[in-house]
Amino acid sequence: MRGAQVAGREVEHLDAIPGMGAAFARAMVPSRTSRVTLPRRISTVHDVTQNRARLADYARVCGFTLRDAVPPTWLHVLTFPLHIHLLGDPQSSVKLVGAVHTSNSMTLHRPVTADERLELSVHLEGPRPHRRGALVDLIGQVRVDGEPVWDGVTTYLASGASVEGEPEEVERAPFEPRSPQARWRLPADLGRQYRRVSQDPNPIHTSRVAAKAFGFARPIIHGMWTHARALAALENRLPAAFTTHVDFVKPILLPSSVGFVASETPGGVLADVVTKDGAKPLLRMRVEEAA
Amino acid sequence: MGALEKLYYSPAGKAIAGKAGLKEPPRLRRGREWPQGPIVLASIGGGELAAETMRLLGRSTEAPVVDEGADAPGYGSRIGALVVDATEATSIAQLEELRALLRPAVRSIERSGRIVVLARPAAGDWESRTVSRALDGINRTVGKELRGGATATLLYVDPSARAGDLVSTLGFVLQGRAAFVDGQAWTVAGADQPAESLQARPLDGRVVVVTGAARGIGAEIARTLARDGASIVAVDIPPAGESLAAIANEVGGTALQLDITADDAGRRLAEHVAQRGESIYGIVHNAGITRDKMLVNTDAARWASVLDVNLAAQMRINEVLLSADIPGGIADGGRIVGVASTSGLAGNKGQTNYAASKAGVAGLVTAMAPDLAARDITVNAVAPGFIQTEMTQKIPFVQREVFLRSNSLSQGGLPVDVAETIGYLLDPRSQGLTGQVIRVCGQNLVGA
Amino acid sequence: MTHNAVVIGGNRTPFAKAGGPYAEASNHDLLTAALDGLIARFGLAGERIGEVAGGAVLKHSKDFNLTREAVLSSALAPSTPACDLQQACGTGLETTIYIANKIRLGQIDSGISAGVDSTSDAPIVVSDSLRRTLLKANAARSAADRVKALAKIRPSHLKPQAPSVAEPRTGLSMGEHQALTTERWGITREAQDEIAAASHHKLAAAWADGFFDDLVTPYLGVPRDAILRPDTSVEKLASLRPAFGGPRGSMTAGNSTALSDGAATALLASEEWAAEHHLPVLAKVVDAEVAAVDHPGGDDLLLGPVAAAGRMLARQGLSVADFDLVEIHEAFASTVLATLKAWDDEDYCRGLGLDGKLGTIDPSRLNVTGSSLAVGHPFAATGARIVPTLAKLLHAKGPGSKGLISMCAAGGQGVVAILEAV
Repeated sequence: MRGAQVAGREVEHLDAIPGMGAAFARAMVPSRTSRVTLPRRISTVHDVTQNRARLADYARVCGFTLRDAVPPTWLHVLTFPLHIHLLGDPQSSVKLVGAVHTSNSMTLHRPVTADERLELSVHLEGPRPHRRGALVDLIGQVRVDGEPVWDGVTTYLASGASVEGEPEEVERAPFEPRSPQARWRLPADLGRQYRRVSQDPNPIHTSRVAAKAFGFARPIIHGMWTHARALAALENRLPAAFTTHVDFVKPILLPSSVGFVASETPGGVLADVVTKDGAKPLLRMRVEEAA
Repeated sequence: MGALEKLYYSPAGKAIAGKAGLKEPPRLRRGREWPQGPIVLASIGGGELAAETMRLLGRSTEAPVVDEGADAPGYGSRIGALVVDATEATSIAQLEELRALLRPAVRSIERSGRIVVLARPAAGDWESRTVSRALDGINRTVGKELRGGATATLLYVDPSARAGDLVSTLGFVLQGRAAFVDGQAWTVAGADQPAESLQARPLDGRVVVVTGAARGIGAEIARTLARDGASIVAVDIPPAGESLAAIANEVGGTALQLDITADDAGRRLAEHVAQRGESIYGIVHNAGITRDKMLVNTDAARWASVLDVNLAAQMRINEVLLSADIPGGIADGGRIVGVASTSGLAGNKGQTNYAASKAGVAGLVTAMAPDLAARDITVNAVAPGFIQTEMTQKIPFVQREVFLRSNSLSQGGLPVDVAETIGYLLDPRSQGLTGQVIRVCGQNLVGA
Repeated sequence: MTHNAVVIGGNRTPFAKAGGPYAEASNHDLLTAALDGLIARFGLAGERIGEVAGGAVLKHSKDFNLTREAVLSSALAPSTPACDLQQACGTGLETTIYIANKIRLGQIDSGISAGVDSTSDAPIVVSDSLRRTLLKANAARSAADRVKALAKIRPSHLKPQAPSVAEPRTGLSMGEHQALTTERWGITREAQDEIAAASHHKLAAAWADGFFDDLVTPYLGVPRDAILRPDTSVEKLASLRPAFGGPRGSMTAGNSTALSDGAATALLASEEWAAEHHLPVLAKVVDAEVAAVDHPGGDDLLLGPVAAAGRMLARQGLSVADFDLVEIHEAFASTVLATLKAWDDEDYCRGLGLDGKLGTIDPSRLNVTGSSLAVGHPFAATGARIVPTLAKLLHAKGPGSKGLISMCAAGGQGVVAILEAV
């Protein structure tokens, strides 16, 4: 089905997944205006085939076992060029650079296999008010022959931008410090490795100079790597169809060692990527069986 | 993507589509969800069967609003369902009572609400037989007039049936499980089922074989039946083995890589089950292929492969599994479910071979049912309409889009809708249904 | 208390040529896939199994717990323990013997034996001199010392060393060793090509028959063994150029196994456990033996199984003629032929300390569904491929049918085992 996202929006059909070059360059120029404007259209690509070699590389970098059924975060990676395409649009006052990836949700409605041809679509929604700026959502969907198999919401914070209205209160499960049950050692070149498989060329993940320019002492790892790694850690405890939500609480500098904790609750799995000592959360993740 | 498909998705195309009334379809209530609003219960002629069944189901009911011809009364707020017991309705005059019940209800029915009429199968004098058939016309029309995903169902209840025989049926129809079953009528006979409510896991501990289980509808059938407690034997062709293994592990069942057209397929299936010291409670013949071509281009090979996979193979397998005393065969009290198709019932351009096979499935179940009644084995089929799966991708875009929209629910069904209907037929308490074909098509315009 | 250890069944991935369709898959990925297929076949999702023993010949150091990690990625209960074993090409049979012995002793009631190899995922190692330099730099106390240590790196050090299939003590590759054996035993080119062609034809027939439908689960879209060439023939094989033994050698790429990727598993249990779990029982593991020859002293590298079989058969009071089926791993076609000749050679057998020759077998009982020449030979996987295959074949022949497995392995070693249908 078209889904609610068609309603009132223009649909732009791309013949292939857009390249990162020009759009990315535009998406890299930080915005100076505080008023938020967003392109309203839906960008879609049909008949996308998945590259098994890249999938294998992705699985290896993130810690997944290579199977016929792909990780849901892989589907996010496939939609990412459409994010750049929209944020690189002249109509978009929100640019990738300067925007902070604050949270991400996705639902895998059924297992998707590597040989399936996909229809990808992404559009922007928002802005929503936030105490430090404006939130915008990139709404992604992956379909196989019209059947929605994956839905994703990527939320960016455009700091400095302003939107009328009261920021919505977000309820978060309280964080209780505890000793990590796993430690991950993130090597200095992890940003480079993840860039290779995700094709996210943002230099704050790979260049010390670029990282410094944005206030980080060292490059930081992509939030979506951390998300993927956390899902991979739960590997065979994941249901076949599930919803997962993550909040990116703090960036993780490279190289570094971080901790991981997970607990099963009646509602699903709660997992945190934490500082090495378990004292502070860096990423908080929920996984629930899809309805 | 073809040029037409592109045009359709273009802004201009969307505008035209909007004018043509192609709005976003309603989201259907699914699963074991009951209607949100109250269930209204009415009786024409004083029949008590529906009331007793509702008591067994443990659902409270409310009294109906009746249109007495003044100024079209409503319910004030949305109702979840209207259940009309018309089992004692035998005269044309009594049809007016039904009209007076339907008019307020149709106005006030909630999204994905239900209108269910219980009636007697045609029997008795000329008038009562006429009434029985007239109700079918009413049911079909109500189905088409209802909006927002609400559906209409007509249940012909044999006089031998007691409330216990109806529990699985009325529970299925009222719950979200019947989301894509609309405008249909079928018959429930008496089968001495206990006067009990719905079971949460009706298939607990029972072995159910699902062919074509590696993906699409078959995978969903395996999941849904496993949810209902079944121990699944997932069958598919060997090249589909990896997906098949994933499904089997997901549902805690076993995988059997098997080409169902092989001569010894039935024997190997029985062996797989017998080796585990079990027998088959139910088999769902879901495996199917399409080799579409207009008849002028249909050669013997296209013809043969479709007929063999979709029809002949399941006949051969049934014969083996039903032969007396075969270890791992179908036990007495078992269930056989075929998967037909609305293409088979209505015919469909370019699908002579497929239509032959699928109409054949409908014929097969009606033929087998009486012969297996003595062993308490029921044989039924579901006939999916447009269900969104990988296989339907092969249908040309325009035809697909027309299909999607040309039913009373303005949308394609999901694999789970077919699976839920199969689960209902497999329910041990559905003993009173045999030899029937239930369409899961959202009341598609094509077909009977 | 002792128990019968029985083979319930098996599962493997299709095997494929190195660098082919599994080029991107690691040992971990392959082994997990083979395990998941086995679990699905026998409905073991979420079950705790007594132990899983697996191994790989070519293994990254990070994969020290390869089998346990694959178990954790699989649908088995995470409380299933696992260990890694390795005995070169004998690994998959050695893991089976290990599991069977534990079952027979009552230490476990169920187990999975496995083997996997991916020559595509083979670890690339640095040269010894580079390794020593890097260790020195790492141990350096000051930055200056570290720079000094690192300054000693020479371009030649940076040449990666692919894992070698050469025998460490002789410097000869396995093919070169076998070429010596081929010549010594007078094995002809024609006989080798006949073995190779027959292997392909028998494997193709078994696939066409659906024989592997309950032994193999596809992986990454590969539906069946990818090395298999159903249309090969003795004539086609005769046109290949020699690969080992010099220009006049008789061993070619066609009658030697190809470097392969794949994983195989076998499910074993006590008869009691199998009955409780309503699982089929194909054959019991009767006996096994390992032997080695003095190949640095000039013995035939790949004829280790002759002594192993001789000692095991003497213990069991059997001759090779007593077996309904025989599986001789086709490392090379000439290995099979030399083994058969050695079994029937009185002097050779007495030289091994045996009481006499083992006898001959009816060729129609040998490798009846093909072997490594056609299937491929992911080193550690082959034993775990052969065990369920033979168990299924014996079961079809009826209770009491006996089968012999003979596998040669690097280091002049040989592993053999007897299965008997129940």
